[in-house]
Amino acid sequence: MINSSSSKQIGQDQPATSEPTPKSQRTKIKMVKSEDSDKRMLNKKLKDVEISIPIVYGNVSFWLGKKASEYQSHKWTVYVRGATNEDIGVVIKRAVFQLHSSFKNPTRVVESPPFELSEAGWGEFEIAITLYFHSDLCDKPLTLYHHLKLYPEDESGPMSSKKPVVVECFDEIAFPEPSEGFLVRVQNHPAVNVPRLHTGFTLPPPVPLEDANRKKRGDTKDHPLSQWFMNFSEADELLQLAAARQQVQAHLAKLRRQISMIDGQHQQLKTISDS
Amino acid sequence: MDAKDILGLPKNSVTQEKKSRPQKDSQRKPDGISREVYALTGGLAPLIPAIEASQLKKRPPSDEKITWQWLPFTNSARKDNLHLYHWVRIVNGVPPTGDYSFAKYNKSVDIVKYTDEEYEKYLTDPMWTKEETDQLFELCQSFDLRFIVIADRFPSSRTVEELKDRYYSVARAMLIARAPSPGDISGHPLVKEPYNVSLETERKRALSMVLSQTKQKERKEAEVLAEAKRITESRMVARGAEESELPVPSNAGPESAERAAAIPGDTVSPSSNVQHPSAAVAPSTITVDNASILASLRMLRVYLRTYALDQMVQAASSSAGLRTIKRVEQTLQELGVNLKPRVPTKAVCAEHLELRREILTLLNLQKQLQYKEAEGSSYRDGSYADTPGTPKHLSHGGDQDRTFVPDMSFAGERIGKRDQKRKAPGRLSEAPLPAHKRPRKSKAADL
Repeated sequence: MINSSSSKQIGQDQPATSEPTPKSQRTKIKMVKSEDSDKRMLNKKLKDVEISIPIVYGNVSFWLGKKASEYQSHKWTVYVRGATNEDIGVVIKRAVFQLHSSFKNPTRVVESPPFELSEAGWGEFEIAITLYFHSDLCDKPLTLYHHLKLYPEDESGPMSSKKPVVVECFDEIAFPEPSEGFLVRVQNHPAVNVPRLHTGFTLPPPVPLEDANRKKRGDTKDHPLSQWFMNFSEADELLQLAAARQQVQAHLAKLRRQISMIDGQHQQLKTISDS
Repeated sequence: MDAKDILGLPKNSVTQEKKSRPQKDSQRKPDGISREVYALTGGLAPLIPAIEASQLKKRPPSDEKITWQWLPFTNSARKDNLHLYHWVRIVNGVPPTGDYSFAKYNKSVDIVKYTDEEYEKYLTDPMWTKEETDQLFELCQSFDLRFIVIADRFPSSRTVEELKDRYYSVARAMLIARAPSPGDISGHPLVKEPYNVSLETERKRALSMVLSQTKQKERKEAEVLAEAKRITESRMVARGAEESELPVPSNAGPESAERAAAIPGDTVSPSSNVQHPSAAVAPSTITVDNASILASLRMLRVYLRTYALDQMVQAASSSAGLRTIKRVEQTLQELGVNLKPRVPTKAVCAEHLELRREILTLLNLQKQLQYKEAEGSSYRDGSYADTPGTPKHLSHGGDQDRTFVPDMSFAGERIGKRDQKRKAPGRLSEAPLPAHKRPRKSKAADL
């Protein structure tokens, strides 16, 4: 029968895949029933299963120092990467960077991860990054906007050609109703957040992937710029928010006590005046 | 008086006469209507004349010659060929033609009729004998389906509902049996909505109950309903302002909270909490706005978390004015929270949204407190300009824009605005009630 194991660690009955060891497993696995139902299921859209891909996008810019010219004072790289530096090529098919019209061929297409673009220039402008997803996931593209930053905030300080200016932005791409086929493909992939599925709902095991090595290269863990990547800690922000909420809740409780006290006083006064 | 002397007018004579006469005239103004009738209308002429006086008198004699004759007539509605007589208006010697004018009102109901074979085939019923059914139908025919009368006349005692039920089921069965195909009559009301005995009995019972309620009961019921309404409303408000206290919800938590919120339908339901025991946050203040935002987000095939958060923040602030929104943002800054979260994951966005909502509630409660204090000061007999006693850091100083500020500085600022009766300017928020309040309070307690 159906053996559904819900666990946060890797279950023993998980069929071996050629994927790199996943960090956390949030899905359940079940034995395949039949081919026909597979095909139907692969195209089926699932409700209430929203997957999200945390990404970071931004730019790193180096002042060229002595080699800087008037029109090429900085060398910069604009990119989109997975928030944990895992490979987002499993989700993103290609990224199109739309640069300022003064650039030659301002529409730059990047067909494979890492999704980045390096150029040299002098000006800051807005770059539109359009992400195209794999067809089994979504045929609608998504556009991010990033303001290219070359010059440091603190304009008075000396510009260093060693230390770059880094501006990164965290966001999550959410797919509210992914197809089962896609889920099958990415379950256990570290770049994708798949929520815990309902009990009784299980996915067929993933088809073994063609080339694990190729996948490996798509991640940005060993990227040359990775030393400049910023850290985004969800836990920190959650703690901060929780602390703020506690403060607000304490004040709310106090206010309520005061209001009920005043109400009591008013009641008393009312009974006096009425009598 | 002196003026009259100067003018040389005679004193008192003409003016008084003039006064008395117009009074009598106004009272005696027939104008075609007698005086009493005129008085009924209040002594004033009607705005629109009811009957044109001209009409009453003129009416020139028409060219036709009208005579009246005593003539016999028959009524086609009668079956017994009775001849009666009546006056007939003859115009130019030609009597009127046509049926008796009231014959057209003799309408009757078409009662279903069945033969004996049909009865055997379709209409047998354990509760009804053929005799009874026949009797019923006869009565229906003669009384035009007036079931109350039929029930009264029916030999064996049956309730109106039973009679109706029998009649309508017979009619329905005959209709179905005689119809060439079921599709033809599927639209017929008898077929579509058959008579439902139990429903009818229930309905009539309820109706009679409502009708026979005494006035006292009515009042009591109204009170109970109002009370229930108040309770549900306060419950919703309470749930909206309170949240459960897990500070770091797991990923499953807010997601299931959102899922519960996306459940179509409305606001609070304890069942949603039961379904998702891991939910850290009760999806209480989910208004219709938020549910519709979630639905619209699901329509998009893909969206950014920051976009979703923006939409939900907008929805949450839609009911608040611009100033309130600014105050919320100020509060957020004072609490050290980024207006736009730096790491907008699902969990963080959910927390952020809840925080905003809580701050909104806080501001609303602050305002409520101010109003209540203002009320309180109007209760007391005006000798004190402001209401003493309530902890200062959250009450007003006539200053609506006071934001969420830590106690000390707030109290300090406010003191400056209070009147001279305040003796100790450096009072902390936890100070005891001022002295002049106490005597009043004890009086209240005494009574």
